[in-house]
Amino acid sequence: MTVNDGVPGERSISVACMHCTDAPCMAVCPVDCFYRTEDQIVLHDKDLCIGCGYCFYACPFGAPQFPQAGAFGLRGKMDKCTFCAGGPEENNSVEEFRKYGRNRIAEGKLPACAEMCSTKALLAGDAPVITTIYKTRVTTRGKGDEIWGWAMAYKESGKLADANTGPAAGGAKS
Amino acid sequence: MIRALSIAAAALLLAACHEIPQDAAKPYAGKEDTKAYAGDMFKGDKAKYEAALADRAKFQNDYSPYRSAGLNAQAAAPAAAPAKQ
Repeated sequence: MTVNDGVPGERSISVACMHCTDAPCMAVCPVDCFYRTEDQIVLHDKDLCIGCGYCFYACPFGAPQFPQAGAFGLRGKMDKCTFCAGGPEENNSVEEFRKYGRNRIAEGKLPACAEMCSTKALLAGDAPVITTIYKTRVTTRGKGDEIWGWAMAYKESGKLADANTGPAAGGAKS
Repeated sequence: MIRALSIAAAALLLAACHEIPQDAAKPYAGKEDTKAYAGDMFKGDKAKYEAALADRAKFQNDYSPYRSAGLNAQAAAPAAAPAKQ
């Protein structure tokens, strides 16, 4: 999602599902249409979903999406980021593709958003994979121990601000 | 008496230290999903499936050998001659 699209300073925000360990959408669903795969990916069964919207209100990341084409608050079955892992239909079947999109995980691929992200802002994988990538970035780009911890996160983050934005636009100073 | 009271107080204080499970029993009521590696691609071979994902994940690393090979090729290429004035 892009905020202030086309305006200088626009921001792009991913509304991908975070596949929470203790997923609030799962907790509030009145028809229990959510399940978790062996890889801890949170998916749902659209044949069960009644489109009540509880998951939309429960999710802190805005991941559940509903049809917005009709007037007067038209509701339909919930749709969300599946980590490109499809749904409970047979893997890579026509039915699964129609309801949930492509099941790239069953093809041994990562989610399309992460693999196609040109700046590699989006990454996909288990925590050790992501940690390794970040560690390589930090060590290769010349930052040392100062990149971690409270000071960089809350006090010195202004140092990371781009030269174009200037120090005033950097992180909050305290 | 004091000992009994202290044991009771300790029990009362420590009662707050255990964690009550927050997850309500939420059975999934839908269709059973097949494993991601159960299809034609991996034929149930979980190790092969995990290896495929791990290989794929390497390409996300800006500094993986796959990417740095491309960067090295660029660096090794002869620089363009400076424009004459």
